[in-house]
Amino acid sequence: MLKKIPNLALILILFALLTGSFLQAQQRFPKPEFDTGYVQPDPTTPEPRAMALEYFDVLVLLAVLSLASWLAVKKRSRRGLLWLSVFSLIYFGFYRDGCICSIGAIQNVALSIFDPGYAISITALLFFILPLLFALFFGRTFCAAACPLGAIQDLVVINPVSIPSWIRKTLGFIPVIYLALSVLFAATGSDFIICRYDPFVGIFRMDGPFLMIFLGITFLLLGMFYARPYCRVFCPYGVLLSWMSKFSKWHLSITPSECIKCKLCKDSCPFDAIEVPVEQAYRTPEVSRKNLKRFILYIGLIPVLILLGGWIGSKSHIFLSRVHPDVYLAELMISQPELKEDEENLDIQAFLESGDTFEQLVDQAAVIREKFRKGSLVMGGFIGLALGITLMNQVVFRRREDYEPHKGDCFSCGRCMDYCPIDSQKSKGESQKLNVESLKLKVENQKSVKSKG
Amino acid sequence: MKNNLDQEQRISLAHRVALISGIFCGVVALLLILNFWHMKQHEPLESKTIEVLVERLSSEPGNEELKEEIRSFDLLARKAYFTSRWQVKTGTWLLLFGGIVMAASLKVYTDLRARIEAPEKVTEELLRARANSQYWLMVAGGLILGFSLVAGYLSNDYLKEYQAMGVVEETEQPQDGIEVIKVFPAQESADTLGSDSAIEQEGASGAEAIEGAGDETETATQPVAVQTTSRFNRDDFKTNQATFRGYMGQGVSYHKNIPEKWNGSTGENIKWKVAFSKPGYNTPVIWDDKLFISGGDAASRVVACYNRNNGQLLWEKEVTGIPGSPAAMPRVTDDTGLAAPTMAVDGNRVYAIFATGDVVAFDLQGNKIWGRNLGVPNNHYGHSSSLQVWENKLVVQYDTNTRGRMLALNTANGETLWDVERPVHISWASPALIEVNGKIQVITTADPYVSGHDLETGAEIWKVEAMMGEVGPSVAYEDGLVYATNEYARLVAVEPKPGAEFTWEDDEYLSEAASPVAYNGLLYLATSYGVLVCYDALTGEKQWEKEYNEGFYSSPMIADGKLYIIDLDGVTHIIKADRSGTVVADPELGEGGFALPVFADGVIYLRGMEHLYCVGE
Repeated sequence: MLKKIPNLALILILFALLTGSFLQAQQRFPKPEFDTGYVQPDPTTPEPRAMALEYFDVLVLLAVLSLASWLAVKKRSRRGLLWLSVFSLIYFGFYRDGCICSIGAIQNVALSIFDPGYAISITALLFFILPLLFALFFGRTFCAAACPLGAIQDLVVINPVSIPSWIRKTLGFIPVIYLALSVLFAATGSDFIICRYDPFVGIFRMDGPFLMIFLGITFLLLGMFYARPYCRVFCPYGVLLSWMSKFSKWHLSITPSECIKCKLCKDSCPFDAIEVPVEQAYRTPEVSRKNLKRFILYIGLIPVLILLGGWIGSKSHIFLSRVHPDVYLAELMISQPELKEDEENLDIQAFLESGDTFEQLVDQAAVIREKFRKGSLVMGGFIGLALGITLMNQVVFRRREDYEPHKGDCFSCGRCMDYCPIDSQKSKGESQKLNVESLKLKVENQKSVKSKG
Repeated sequence: MKNNLDQEQRISLAHRVALISGIFCGVVALLLILNFWHMKQHEPLESKTIEVLVERLSSEPGNEELKEEIRSFDLLARKAYFTSRWQVKTGTWLLLFGGIVMAASLKVYTDLRARIEAPEKVTEELLRARANSQYWLMVAGGLILGFSLVAGYLSNDYLKEYQAMGVVEETEQPQDGIEVIKVFPAQESADTLGSDSAIEQEGASGAEAIEGAGDETETATQPVAVQTTSRFNRDDFKTNQATFRGYMGQGVSYHKNIPEKWNGSTGENIKWKVAFSKPGYNTPVIWDDKLFISGGDAASRVVACYNRNNGQLLWEKEVTGIPGSPAAMPRVTDDTGLAAPTMAVDGNRVYAIFATGDVVAFDLQGNKIWGRNLGVPNNHYGHSSSLQVWENKLVVQYDTNTRGRMLALNTANGETLWDVERPVHISWASPALIEVNGKIQVITTADPYVSGHDLETGAEIWKVEAMMGEVGPSVAYEDGLVYATNEYARLVAVEPKPGAEFTWEDDEYLSEAASPVAYNGLLYLATSYGVLVCYDALTGEKQWEKEYNEGFYSSPMIADGKLYIIDLDGVTHIIKADRSGTVVADPELGEGGFALPVFADGVIYLRGMEHLYCVGE
């Protein structure tokens, strides 16, 4: 029971944080209801962050990415990556209030592509591109040490559990849908849902709507047992990073030398991102033939899924477009015209006071809906394609002799390196030519110590 | 050994730090919660004292002492509020600090115990795992696509529907936009009418005489001089069902010898029936031998006149050339349409109003006398309040989403005699007239007031807050009591005088569209879900109720001591208008019914969805 006290205490503190933050978000005190003679000053637009400081943020990001890549690939330092992630949490999270962030920059990029009137800032563009570039060469070092969202979740990993791969694969499809939706909504100028539902920005700012704080706390509580839940189940930027990382040439490796197949690395990885050696049993002619048939089936299925997804996407454009405030308002006023009289409906009252005619609103909404029709078609096709490729990948068994990090899923956190007995021998300056048998013996000892602990 | 001891000590230290910081956080959290609870109990934002004082200030705006008192209370409340905010903020920072210490010590503790980051071992057979993944991916993908498809099909495209319907305008009334037609000499009238001869001929040939079409045909193209003088005799309004719900809009006919049996499908007791050219939900009105109906669609709005003895179309006129009339039709729902209001006729002219806001007057020969647009009503179903006419006043209840309003127009030229703004929401009810102490009052019902207005000036004489929601039923009146009802509101009986309170009220059965009718000390009410109920008009005691399969949008009418009401299926329920509620007959029209029965001696005129019927034995 006593052993559980720290965990219980942690839950308590997180609950308290939730309560405190919720209280912070209470309504402000209203103005007096009678004439005091006091003149309200005109509201002023807050000063944007100075351009030089924005560039400084980019430099910091560049430096962190470079350092993280060096620590992951060359230095192989888990400790270094950990402290770098703490720095990023403090700087990009608490100091910069979680904004600007590479995850949210997806939306800026999407909007700038589809809305000629929107000029993306160079900072946002670089925040979007730099992590992808680094992932293309060094793997997801951004996730390891530069992302504040990842860092805050990484710090609360206490007792992670491994879950069956079919659940992981199925949950892993959610980020693809989230990415598609966030691009669609951003491209149509409807909403930046990644920012709106960023679960941790409320914690970074020590303020925020109840739902935001609640989500953040929930993710942190969940993250104690299911490591980095947001990264693995929701992060839309992770999809892009994963694609880039799969092609990375200098990705982190578990062992610097020969793998002794001790499995310590697999046990150490809280994200189930270590791939096991593919046994010869899976590469028999019978299995290969079966997989080939299925592979061809999925190849043929991909165009069907694209078309089906596109068709269903286009059918979904009506309800999807209601995310856009103009469409929502226009439909609300059409379906419930009596609400025009509702003085408490601020959206409608604000529109009525805007001077625009209802016809203008409806016309505008119709234009947006048409954008959604096209966008949803593409989005549906994309989801169909992603589903097809994911299915196809399930029947591909690549030759693998050693335990290796899954280049797409690996966050390059370095835990596996830290646990690798070969790596620890190297760091102690022992001979490069390791005695495999003696190492295996050490591993067994290490495991027995763990089991006693 | 020394190292092991150090390890144990470090574990113990980390454990203690975690525990202490956890307790610290717990205490702070408890204080925060207490603070929160205290603030909830004594919310400075909602200080009752300030509220009362501010209320007092509104009646004593110059009271400086009171202002000073409010300021001091306000200051106190602000101090309490901001102190609490400071406590919350400080507490949160303390929590954060405690949390960091605790997370760090926990991290050290778990690291030292070497239990961190060791996932549960799950041994999976790779092929099976991959097969499972494929299966669940397909299931999940299928569910997502299926859900999207269903949601897509279930989503109503309001924008498309709206744009298909036309254009909504919220135009203001053009005050001077009355087109008054000069009084034509007979020859000019003939020329004018000649231009409409095509419609008339076509319409006339469309009349299908069922039985004994009379010889009294009127040559539609015959030149007729426009009537210039007005006559008014209230007895004429008793002998002619000239307005919505007959004489004074009270739902009682003075005709006898009314048929009780007919069948629209077989032609039993159907003297004639005609198909009309334009849809409309209005009830026909009659004057002498003429019967008038209106209709309209996006293409045009028309007023038609039939010879009520044989169903021959005497004339049909398009309503055109009205200044301010919208080029595109306002959006209306299918169950209201553009021609829902019942016309009014006074022996001199026949008056019609449409959902476009167009009001038009024709003489009984079909010459347009005047026309004006009252401003396209901001009405989400479509304007449906019927016209009421008395002496030289055409009363228009014009409660829209923009404002509550009632007007009286000069029947001779359409000029505004009075125009009053009413503190009510939009309504679809029609004005009724009552006579109190020798003066005629216009009685209206809307959310929230049932009110009486002086017919001469439009001035409000009395009002009582009784209604809510979208008011459709008009009022009933008998023996000094006005009866009003609406769905989701109540049924009330009220004396038409200032300061009146409810004589009685009830909410068991409420009407959505059908208006109640009072007759011989009984009140009858029909609901949209098919219940017809009778109350004692003085006490509100229920006398009987009958439930039918179809609901009622049409209102009950009393004629010859019997109640006639048509359900949505076109079945007319005839019941003795007394406390027995004896069913007399349930003749069928053969098509859906919505309009009220129109009575004349020995005949009933019924408007179905497609045809106008004359029923007579």
